[in-house]
Amino acid sequence: MTQTTKEMTEAMRLAMLHANPKLSRFDPLPRIISHDEFANGHCGWSQLVGNYQDDLDTMLPGYAQHTSAMLSTLPHWDAGSHGGMGSSYALKIATRPRVGAQNAAIKRHTFRHRGRIRFEAYFTFKPEARELKLSETDVRSVGFLFDLQSGDTDKGGERVMPHLRFLNALDGRHIQKWQFKQRTTEFHPMGGDKIMSHYHLAPEGWEDLPGGDQRLCYNEIATKINWTYLCFDFDLDAMKALSFRCNDREFDLSTFDSIRIPAMKNLWCMLNFVLFAETDTDKRAFLYVDSICISGDF
Amino acid sequence: MLPENITAIVARNEHWAGSAASEPYEAGWAHEAVFFVRALKEPTGSQPKVRVEISPDGMHWIAEGTEAAMPAHKDQIAGLRVKHFGGWLRIAADFDADATSAVLVTLHLKA
Repeated sequence: MTQTTKEMTEAMRLAMLHANPKLSRFDPLPRIISHDEFANGHCGWSQLVGNYQDDLDTMLPGYAQHTSAMLSTLPHWDAGSHGGMGSSYALKIATRPRVGAQNAAIKRHTFRHRGRIRFEAYFTFKPEARELKLSETDVRSVGFLFDLQSGDTDKGGERVMPHLRFLNALDGRHIQKWQFKQRTTEFHPMGGDKIMSHYHLAPEGWEDLPGGDQRLCYNEIATKINWTYLCFDFDLDAMKALSFRCNDREFDLSTFDSIRIPAMKNLWCMLNFVLFAETDTDKRAFLYVDSICISGDF
Repeated sequence: MLPENITAIVARNEHWAGSAASEPYEAGWAHEAVFFVRALKEPTGSQPKVRVEISPDGMHWIAEGTEAAMPAHKDQIAGLRVKHFGGWLRIAADFDADATSAVLVTLHLKA
């Protein structure tokens, strides 16, 4: 059987990928847009600052609570630094110690090709280890979202924001399920028609993913962590989610949709990625990310 | 590769009063740190000193020894430089009952 050039190219790509110890744990599409390992710094994962005009008091409270992500060795009071999968460092997103507090980190790109993209990450979450207790219901949720907008010449341009979160606990109940969101909150003009603000991470409007219950590896006490894999595929042409996997589970996205709003005046071809965490108690919640690979089929 | 250096915003437009502190920040990778505190509005009441604190775990804190006067007026800044701090950093200040300040606290770290 004769191999086509395309088949040989793909076979060589996969062989090189699988032999690369840094990338072999991912399944990237042919073009790697970014590969973030946090021993290399923050890799563009910056603070999600809210919009404002003239006075910082105009910033919506949801955004005002955000702080900068950290480079963490996952240091624990009882066992020392845990470290990451391939280096000492992970990205850490920490909430404030107030029930319902959230924090987020964002990576801001634009896209050059409308097609399939893939977001892969190894992550874990824990509450601050303030108590000598199990504490498995202290973190409310962790999740991720994309913030996308069509190109400036597209007809019927939209801003599209697929959201997925793992709702770990709510009001002390251990829930453990994946949810998505199609609704945002009211838009607030910050000045003119080019600065608007809406808090799309508000607690309202989350919907269950069908069959989205999943028990992750919590590991008994607040200072032990295990890394969890997630992979989300999205089509930037159809602006539609294609697949979602977490560890050994592939989830049904047949009812999934994104927040969809009219295109805004200065966000063309936007390709943003956001990671977030939320606490269910008056204790800080920590989302740690070991590494992230974002790839595209182009 | 150039050594890492970052600016982290650890408090933005926070109204400090009573016993106030910035959120804990992990900085074990850094060899030097500078905090700046800017008063975003005209502070009220007598302004206290602000101090650098260090911690073994991000939960228990002691004064590191570096301190400065809180900014006395809007848009004034205070700076605190530290070289030897382990894995965690924050700043803290104790305000009198009638004193407040709306602060921007930035942390500048270099490997």
